[in-house]
Amino acid sequence: MTLEELMRRARLWRAGEASAEPGLPTGFAALDAALPAGGWPFPGLIEILCGQPGSGGLRLMLPVLARLAHEQRWLIWVAPPYQPYAPALQAADIDLRRVMVVDVETADGAAAPGLPAGRPGAARAAGEGSQVLWAFEQALRFPGCGAALLWPGPLEALTLRRLQLACEAGGTLGVLFRAGECAEQSSPAALRLLLTPQPADDALDITILKCRGSLRARECRLPL
Amino acid sequence: MNPPDHLRPLQRLVHPAPRTPQLSAAPAAGPAATPAAELWLAIQLPQLPLDLATSGHAERKPCVLVEGSGARQRVTLVNSEAARLGIRAGMALGAAHALGEVTALQRMPAIEERALARLCAWAYQFTPVVNAVGPDGLLLEVRGSLALFGGLHGLLTTLRRGLRELGMRSFAFAAAPTPLAATWLARGRQPATVDSFAALPAALAVLPLDTLRLPVRQLQDFYGIGVHTIGECLRLPRDGLARRFAPDLLRDLDRALGREPDPRPAFTPPERFSQRLDLLWEIHHAQALTTGMERLLHELGGVLRARSAVIRSLCWTLHHRDGTTVPHRLSLVAPSRDVAHLARLTREHFARQRLPAPVRGFELEAADFEIQTAVDIEDLFCRGPRGESTDERWPQFVERLQARLGPDALKELAAMPDHRPERSMRMTPLGAAPAADTVDGTVRRRRPRPLWLTRQPLPLAEQNGRPALGGALTLGPERERVQGGWWEGADLARDYFVARDPRGTRWWVFRELEGRRGWYLHGVFE
Repeated sequence: MTLEELMRRARLWRAGEASAEPGLPTGFAALDAALPAGGWPFPGLIEILCGQPGSGGLRLMLPVLARLAHEQRWLIWVAPPYQPYAPALQAADIDLRRVMVVDVETADGAAAPGLPAGRPGAARAAGEGSQVLWAFEQALRFPGCGAALLWPGPLEALTLRRLQLACEAGGTLGVLFRAGECAEQSSPAALRLLLTPQPADDALDITILKCRGSLRARECRLPL
Repeated sequence: MNPPDHLRPLQRLVHPAPRTPQLSAAPAAGPAATPAAELWLAIQLPQLPLDLATSGHAERKPCVLVEGSGARQRVTLVNSEAARLGIRAGMALGAAHALGEVTALQRMPAIEERALARLCAWAYQFTPVVNAVGPDGLLLEVRGSLALFGGLHGLLTTLRRGLRELGMRSFAFAAAPTPLAATWLARGRQPATVDSFAALPAALAVLPLDTLRLPVRQLQDFYGIGVHTIGECLRLPRDGLARRFAPDLLRDLDRALGREPDPRPAFTPPERFSQRLDLLWEIHHAQALTTGMERLLHELGGVLRARSAVIRSLCWTLHHRDGTTVPHRLSLVAPSRDVAHLARLTREHFARQRLPAPVRGFELEAADFEIQTAVDIEDLFCRGPRGESTDERWPQFVERLQARLGPDALKELAAMPDHRPERSMRMTPLGAAPAADTVDGTVRRRRPRPLWLTRQPLPLAEQNGRPALGGALTLGPERERVQGGWWEGADLARDYFVARDPRGTRWWVFRELEGRRGWYLHGVFE
């Protein structure tokens, strides 16, 4: 088989070449422009390295969540650190009838109040081999699901790979909100973003650490 | 030697497919050779006692069935694992033990009888005319079912697969116009299909007499006068036969040949399902239970199909070594009879169980049969919990998660028409709250609202009169007063602020206007 043939079969991924599949618009023009697919890779696993809740990671996802819900697909929140505030989701145009929360803290009987400082309370439960991780993977594999969100503890690269494959199998968007330190870990996720809030400028700096279809690290800035 | 033409092996119907499923076996033309109105399919389960005993286990160990007592115990049945050790039927039990580790089982007529009744209920999905032939056979009148199941070949393929799913490992089939003829042919290991009365005498003639299961003395009398096959028996003068041997025999022969009617009692399918499976070896891990459980579920599936019924819940009862019985009830979001789905639910449920004591047996019960009428059953699965969606597998997905995480782990959100933050939303177990009292999504709030709400307000430390959270918080300029609730006994009076910590995270905090006037954290902005 010649090289040409291999190329024609399009099974080779060539660095620097934009992926053929258009992404889902993020709802932020600056971010769409920075992403090679013109939006979130879909289906695919996204890692948002933002540290604790409140760093703007979830806000980035609101437009795409609203859109998926309107397409009659489920939004599955797996062990979120706090209660998603329903009126605020509604204000973001998210159809609440399409939202399901996997509330495993109460299922396990351990009421974690979600201490504001440090790691989110759910993180301890969402480590390797936990029920939470299992539920997240099931959600990703479920075709009726649009997006599944998880705030995990430390995960191994092999687990991330499995989650990425689960997204592809189910045709879903998987979103991991992880600590900023995870930036150094290599990851098979389709997209990795590092968020750095700039409180002085009321802005959020986004660094694209990795994206399928692009080798270059890019940055963009969104107003908060 | 080729088999006679009227004894057409089933395989020949199976492979060169172009033959029509019509089983015109008799070569001779004429009215006598036309297919009989009824076609009885006999299913013979020669190893039924052994198959029953081991059906709860995935692993296969050598097992034999013994009869007699004391030193005269003889092996009467041998499973393939025991046969591999060299054990043969007729050996003394002591000799069998000498050949290897083998589990010896006694015949249990009551259990076998119940098992046959269960098999009848299961087989009712193929035809409404089902009959148990003790101790190890079934009869199905299948003439009317052939078209539906793709001819005899299709039906046999379905039956084989189904019997294997139930844990039956050895079975023989034969089809004939009369029930007795089919049974004898199956017992004689003649995998034959005889389709017309004309071909019947010749087909039966070659069968050895012991397929009739005569009393031993009668059989020896026949052997004494040199009669070994049914054909030879039929050549004896009728009156002599009736006089010297029981008149029953003559009647049976006439029934087998279709000269006399052979009425069979009608089988009434059960209204509920309740089966117990006793384990041959104790099971210590919940996961190891699932093999046997799936067999019972396949049985249940057959019964449900036969009754065209669905169920909403099922109950497993585990019988532990210490004498305790523990029920495990699984309820379904949508009624179903899908064995694969029920098996998945069962697996997920038992995956999170730790057994308090080893299990000796278990029972499956399903009582609330709902008879499906004209409604297409698939239609039921195509609706979400609120009836509007097109998700095909949403109920199954939800059940699977609930089976593993607990029934209350899945929650739904609703926005409520209330100005007090904790009353303005509700997070409740799926389907627990009355639907549709969510406020209209078009209601926009002018005031800032966080994306996250803590379950309860969390008390904050105070530094110089300001709330602190890993450093003093900077309060925003806006102050929102929330008051009220005295009419519900949940009075509150608070001033809410958006506060910023040194890292830039924005928190939703409030100060009590009365009492301790403490600071609390109530939400997080993104």
